[in-house]
Amino acid sequence: MVHTNTMEGSLFEPTLYIVKGMCILDSDGNRILAKYYDKDVLTTAKEQKAFEKNLFNKTHRANAEIIMLEGLTCVYKSNVDLFFYVMGSSHENELILQSVLNALYESVSILLRRNVEKRVLLENLDAVMLAFDEICDGGVILDSDPGSVVARAALRPDDVPLAEQTVAQVLQSAKEQLKWSLLK
Amino acid sequence: MSVFKRDKKEEEEGGGNPYQNLDKTIVLQESRYFNQTPVNPRKCCLILTKVLYLLNQGEKFTTQEATEAFFATTKLFQSKDVMLRRMVYLCIKELSGLAQDVIIVTSSLTKDMTGKEDLYRAAAIRALCSITDSTMLQAIERYMKQAIVDKNPAVSSAALVSALHLSSTAPDLVRRWANEAQEAIASDNAMVSYHALGVVAGSRKNDKLSMVKLVTRLGRSPLKSPYALCLLIRLAAQLVEDDDSDSSQSYIEFIECCLRHKSEMVIYEAAHAIVNLRKTTRDLAPAVSVLQLFCGSSKASLRLAGARTLARLTAKHPTAVAACAVDLENLISDSNRSVATLAVTTLLATGAESSVDR
Repeated sequence: MVHTNTMEGSLFEPTLYIVKGMCILDSDGNRILAKYYDKDVLTTAKEQKAFEKNLFNKTHRANAEIIMLEGLTCVYKSNVDLFFYVMGSSHENELILQSVLNALYESVSILLRRNVEKRVLLENLDAVMLAFDEICDGGVILDSDPGSVVARAALRPDDVPLAEQTVAQVLQSAKEQLKWSLLK
Repeated sequence: MSVFKRDKKEEEEGGGNPYQNLDKTIVLQESRYFNQTPVNPRKCCLILTKVLYLLNQGEKFTTQEATEAFFATTKLFQSKDVMLRRMVYLCIKELSGLAQDVIIVTSSLTKDMTGKEDLYRAAAIRALCSITDSTMLQAIERYMKQAIVDKNPAVSSAALVSALHLSSTAPDLVRRWANEAQEAIASDNAMVSYHALGVVAGSRKNDKLSMVKLVTRLGRSPLKSPYALCLLIRLAAQLVEDDDSDSSQSYIEFIECCLRHKSEMVIYEAAHAIVNLRKTTRDLAPAVSVLQLFCGSSKASLRLAGARTLARLTAKHPTAVAACAVDLENLISDSNRSVATLAVTTLLATGAESSVDR
């Protein structure tokens, strides 16, 4: 595969293999989901987890959107107790990576009905795994439109639209949202 | 607040995470449940999620364990539940590198790939291409060609991206699909057009003349997809770099045109290419002013992109960067440390005595 950065000059390499990795970490920096796509970058689970720890330590306090770390450009975004990261080569168009992060965050947010927090994510882990798979295929951006990613990944047949939810469900989700808005 | 405290405690005990402390042997035992009929989609989905979670956490599966799990998973093809089927595809992909005899699911996947359900088709194509080797590719070649020009964008993209992956192992075969891919470049769907351009460009990598034709043709009637445009800019920039003659002027003009695109991604891509290609400071002016604007953006990734490309320019054209000194000085105290560091190093390389005082 055309993964490696063979280009000598400083032009961007004309390749579709742009995403080196994506991950979601919890508020302790532990991996909830992570995928690495380049067979030359962070190949063992040990290396990956060490990188994730380092990345988390450098980013969890500063909400600075982007960081260059260990030869990778990482864009990130957090909410409540979840941290979303997209990694690319340091010779890559940052704005393309940013668009992938937006797709990841927005898709997950829609899937979790805007309750972007660890507990709800774990309850819907299968759908989030499918969303991961719909956004990036082996390092190639497959789809970056959250609407269509969710249409392809959210397939739970008994998922009822908001209008048909029971009063209890609506109350529960309202309570959750209130809880976090107070804690922020 | 009491609600929160209870939640917090639960989480500490691991009660909040149903996937914590999963045991591989127990999960593998649970996968025997897949043999039961009728299939309980919910329960099976949960078990598959556990298997995928363990793999994702870096748990090592032996060949035998992976093969066992894989064969258990294949039993689930009898269920028609969409979510379950999609999780089965995902498991097939994840286990395909570890398990033996994975080609056993070829016929099931081929059936899904040519079936009526679009959601199955796209995912089945991707799973199928992850298990096929080049000898079996010929058997599905006809379906792949059809899928590339399918009117459903998910199906078309799945086939194109799979073709791209396969081109590393079977380049000659995939090159035969270039005509279909060429047709797909004109798709209204942004991603299909992007993936198609990637496949076509990949197949012409070693044929400069046809690459020139491709870039010239697409440069005249620019693509709608921002991603595809970024790729086209890269291809054009590469042609300029390889060719110093006047004929490369048309590519430069195309790239300069992209500076006025509405997508920031494309604008940056063009500015970056120009900064790395242009030889005189005067030619650089439009690109540099775009990067200058980026440095003042409220989005950190834009500021970083702008500062990084300017930093790279210092080696070649320090005077062009000197004009942006004020913008870079504003970035020294940037809340993003990567941006601040870049700004400082760039200023140190270009700075004059006068700017040190400020």
